[in-house]
Amino acid sequence: MKTDDLIRAMAGDTVVGPAPQMRLVWLLPALALGGVALWSRLGLRDDLALALQDPVSAMRIVLALALGGGALWAVVRLARPGAVVRLWPLGLVALVAIGLWLWAFALMPAEGRQMAIVGKTMVGCLTTIPLLAVLPTGIVLATLRQGAPVRPVLAGAVAGLAGGGLAAAVYALHCTEDSPLFYVTWYGTAILAVSAVSALVAGRLLRW
Amino acid sequence: MTQKTDDWGLLLTAALDGDSRAYAHFLRAVTPVLRGVVRARGAALGEAGCEDVLQEVLLALHLKRHTWQVGTPVRPWLYAITRYKVVDAFRARGRRIDLPIEDFADVLPAEAGADPTQRADIDKMIGMLDPRAARLVRQVGVEGDSMAEAGAKLDMSEGAVRVALHRAFKQLAVLRKRHVE
Repeated sequence: MKTDDLIRAMAGDTVVGPAPQMRLVWLLPALALGGVALWSRLGLRDDLALALQDPVSAMRIVLALALGGGALWAVVRLARPGAVVRLWPLGLVALVAIGLWLWAFALMPAEGRQMAIVGKTMVGCLTTIPLLAVLPTGIVLATLRQGAPVRPVLAGAVAGLAGGGLAAAVYALHCTEDSPLFYVTWYGTAILAVSAVSALVAGRLLRW
Repeated sequence: MTQKTDDWGLLLTAALDGDSRAYAHFLRAVTPVLRGVVRARGAALGEAGCEDVLQEVLLALHLKRHTWQVGTPVRPWLYAITRYKVVDAFRARGRRIDLPIEDFADVLPAEAGADPTQRADIDKMIGMLDPRAARLVRQVGVEGDSMAEAGAKLDMSEGAVRVALHRAFKQLAVLRKRHVE
């Protein structure tokens, strides 16, 4: 078939797909579902309202949402070829988190540090956040698939940061660990693990 | 150049609104530029091989045209898709190339050469479609049938023809992926 004929055939096809980011609306029901699952299986923390008034504890949710939001913002651009992608907001969130960790480390007496870092719910945190992240990360990857990412591995990693960050914010409604030494360490580890797996999957999944 | 890009933007905007004449016009306008890019990089493939790669780029452009955001410059979008698909196509043919974006600016547009239709990749892939879809693609492309005409010949409603043609192109992209992996 000559290129001219191909062009004529393509011009006949007037079905245009939806803009990639339309698929992100599925995140709302997905996160709600995750919240309900968390509430019914593990329960929310009893003093949630009180914890939210404590800035150091509330920072868990603020940081997780900022990371998730910043990553989503980057994903929408990563889905569009030629769009300028800015990753510095993600770096900024990471910097604030590390700063908070160092501040808490300095404040904590030396003998209490290890206990504060390990906490009491490390295993629950490291399993629940990735579980909660599966669905949102899947939705973000589906969004990218609808787009045309020219950097699939990076796009996958950022998709994992989005899904992991949002999942961590949901998990924070249950988690009673208020020290940055705990949550920056283990939320961060869980989110980075989700990001790594997502990047790995994306290398194949996002080819077009 | 700016003038041209603006035209491309207007044409593509109309195309995304379902104006198939504007879309054909857009594709015909960008094709020589893309052909120039492919030829500048893939001289070793020969003219027919380059035309295959060009058609792969056009197919990707077609299926991903909704990723262009109305109001933004067409060129960066077009070049990013082209670079991605050209690198992909060359890799599939066992060659590694780097394609710096600056190279795109001074590539000369190229017209199609002698007609290398006989053993082109796209024909092989169209041959792998289900017979009805293959006939439909050829009818619209080669014969220049409208949706209504193609529908009458294939005993399908116009709406069904539209859906079938769109599916055929998506299927072609899937076949192409399998073909090269």
